[in-house]
Amino acid sequence: MITFNSVSLIYPHSLHTVFEDLSFTIDEGEMVLVIGATGSGKSSLLRLINGLVPHHTGGILAGDISVDGISTSLTKPGGLAHLIGIVGQNPIHGFVTDTVEEELVFGMEALNFAPDVMRKRVEEILDLLSLAHLRARSISTLSGGEQQRVAIGSALVMHPKVLVLDEPTSALDPIAAEEVLSILHRLVHDLGLTVVISEHRLERVIGFADRIIAISADGKTEIDIPEEILKKSPIAPPIVHLARALNLDSVGTSVREVRRMTTHLRDFTPLVSQPRHTYGETVVTINKLSHFYGEKVALREVSLEFKSGEITAVMGRNGAGKSTLFKSIVGFHKSIGGQITVLGTDPTELHGHNRLATIGYIPQEPSDLLIHPSVAKECAASDRDNGLEDGSTFAFLIRLTPTINPDAHPRDLSEGQRLSLVLALILCSGPNVLIMDEPTRGLDYKAKSLLVDTLISYSRNLGKCVLIATHDVELVAEVADRVVFLADGDVVADGSTLDVLLSSPAFAPQVAKVMSPAPWLTVKDALRGIAAATGKDSQE
Amino acid sequence: MKDTKGIYQLSLQSKVVLTFTSVIALAGFVWPFFYVGNLQWIFVVAIAASAFLLVSEVGIGSIDAKSIALLGVMSAFITLLRPLGAGAAGLEPIWFALIIAARVFGPSWGFLLGITSMTTSALLTGGVGPWLPYQVFAAGWIGLLAGALPQRFAGKLIRGAAEKVMLIVVGIFASFAFGILMDLQFWPWVLGSSTQLSYIPGGALSENFSRFITFHFASSMAWDIPRAILTSVLIAMTATPFLRALRRTYFKAAFLTPIEFKSALQIKN
Repeated sequence: MITFNSVSLIYPHSLHTVFEDLSFTIDEGEMVLVIGATGSGKSSLLRLINGLVPHHTGGILAGDISVDGISTSLTKPGGLAHLIGIVGQNPIHGFVTDTVEEELVFGMEALNFAPDVMRKRVEEILDLLSLAHLRARSISTLSGGEQQRVAIGSALVMHPKVLVLDEPTSALDPIAAEEVLSILHRLVHDLGLTVVISEHRLERVIGFADRIIAISADGKTEIDIPEEILKKSPIAPPIVHLARALNLDSVGTSVREVRRMTTHLRDFTPLVSQPRHTYGETVVTINKLSHFYGEKVALREVSLEFKSGEITAVMGRNGAGKSTLFKSIVGFHKSIGGQITVLGTDPTELHGHNRLATIGYIPQEPSDLLIHPSVAKECAASDRDNGLEDGSTFAFLIRLTPTINPDAHPRDLSEGQRLSLVLALILCSGPNVLIMDEPTRGLDYKAKSLLVDTLISYSRNLGKCVLIATHDVELVAEVADRVVFLADGDVVADGSTLDVLLSSPAFAPQVAKVMSPAPWLTVKDALRGIAAATGKDSQE
Repeated sequence: MKDTKGIYQLSLQSKVVLTFTSVIALAGFVWPFFYVGNLQWIFVVAIAASAFLLVSEVGIGSIDAKSIALLGVMSAFITLLRPLGAGAAGLEPIWFALIIAARVFGPSWGFLLGITSMTTSALLTGGVGPWLPYQVFAAGWIGLLAGALPQRFAGKLIRGAAEKVMLIVVGIFASFAFGILMDLQFWPWVLGSSTQLSYIPGGALSENFSRFITFHFASSMAWDIPRAILTSVLIAMTATPFLRALRRTYFKAAFLTPIEFKSALQIKN
């Protein structure tokens, strides 16, 4: 269906090739996953398929790419619109109309379909993607997963033979991501659609993929079945890392497989020993805090305390009150009922330098904090605002990402680099409370582990209080000391990470599911635990 | 900072059509000085038809999907700006955006932006009437002018403060020119025939011209001056970030970057 024949690509104003002599064939009905570090060329590869590269970006393309027998060098992307559907990372960026039905029809209108055909197709897609009950809804009122389903629907409505998705779930929470991926799985199996998808949270998609194209940092590409690629790929989900660390014969792609391979490691009583940290004094005190938006209750008499040296993850569904809680602590709004004090002060009364030194807040979209035209200017402004020596913010940033280009525009950075920049801007003033709303959206494994290291050292070494709102269970397992679970404005659970995550299978990280009933959350925990247990076994 | 060229060039054929329609449109503005009788409606039709002709002419030319998308986005932006000023007392916050965008993306695109943004914003403000074709052409010319400003002076790129001053001068010129052009299409009808400042059909050119100038200064300077001040202030305040954002778009969207296809063998050697 898709053939790459010794393809090389060079972008304009660039001296090195993105791909060199790349050849592969994707058959009809295959689901192929493209993996690689950020900036390795995943998006370029996907956009080569429908000719957006180089027709829209410029550049030199050598070799030949053909899709269903049509060469992309001879046909412009518009001429392939009926054959290839493309879905981007953030569905909102691609919508042109206001309601679900109009959005579905839009592409067909542009391709001049007959009205009766359009009518039939819309009904068919509404059923296929379970969107019928949303047909008249305004797109902006839909949840992230529903929006991404509409985006997939508006690509499918043209009856393409190939569907190309560029990180379709990275802007979504795990529940929405699950929704989108299960739809894709069904499309591949029911319609025989050829799907090419790039993702960086492999734990979600790995089970669906027939083959993987792995692009390494030096531009080399490999295409093979998942088990082979994952044996050595540096990009892998936690269960694969676990299997490798335990020296299992093969790597599994699902919790079930790995669990069956590790029965021999679980037939002893595990030690329950978690390293305990001692925390400092209470930094944030929340007493019977309530907040309402009109009739809607956002928070109901919530009382919590956060200490210095403690990393707390706040979890819960969208709309459970996480963001409202954070905004109250930051002092964006006066609380309607109850009080909050941060180091003895009402946060709404903190101003200027005092505020910078007390609370650091990183919103869901970190780039909202970036207003200057280059990384260097952003850092200089931060030095000025915080009264630091010239260059200290940049020195901090270089420690996080040594390769960052100081002249780059902040919006041209990769997600990971942008988050590092924002972290540097916020952390260099050493706020006593660091608050992050959904920090891992759009981050690859490398950027995530950088975030984990930064947060742990900030909290443990400097004795600061860190709060994170997140859906990402694996991140919580790695970084948090304590988990607060919110539902409908109430605190439903509040306890150590281990207790809260293990109490429900829905929230358990992959390693815990494999190793259950042993209380190990991460690969490191499991290795340490097994070593301790087997060491003890041999002594007896 | 790299040089920026206009994001697309009119073909020779389009340039001929543009010149021809502009001459008709200009005649539509100045006929009261030269002709006895009422030609207004003929020119309204002629201008509308030639604007349509022009748009369709350039539409089938070299303009690509990205330029059209940009044209749509900027027209929508200007359309949203227009009701903010409501046009009262000449406070029209649209000229600065047209001038700055045309500066970055070139004269041909600037002309189109003037035409599309004036047309779409008229729909939103309810300003559709016999004056619309005149406004559309005047806006197109302003876009053309701002886009045609030199990129270099004595071999050096014009950027920073010099560029800002140049744009402010154009903004002031455009504000007054627009006022004069709008008065021209309005003056023969507004006063009746009995006043000192009225249009005299068939009167001597010098007589009518001096009456028009007096009328213009008496009636409309009150609109032109606030328009010029507002436009200058907005350019002075927004030019730096606005130009930066648009230039970044220019390079990000890879306008005019060469696309080449080679066989696999060629690149290896």
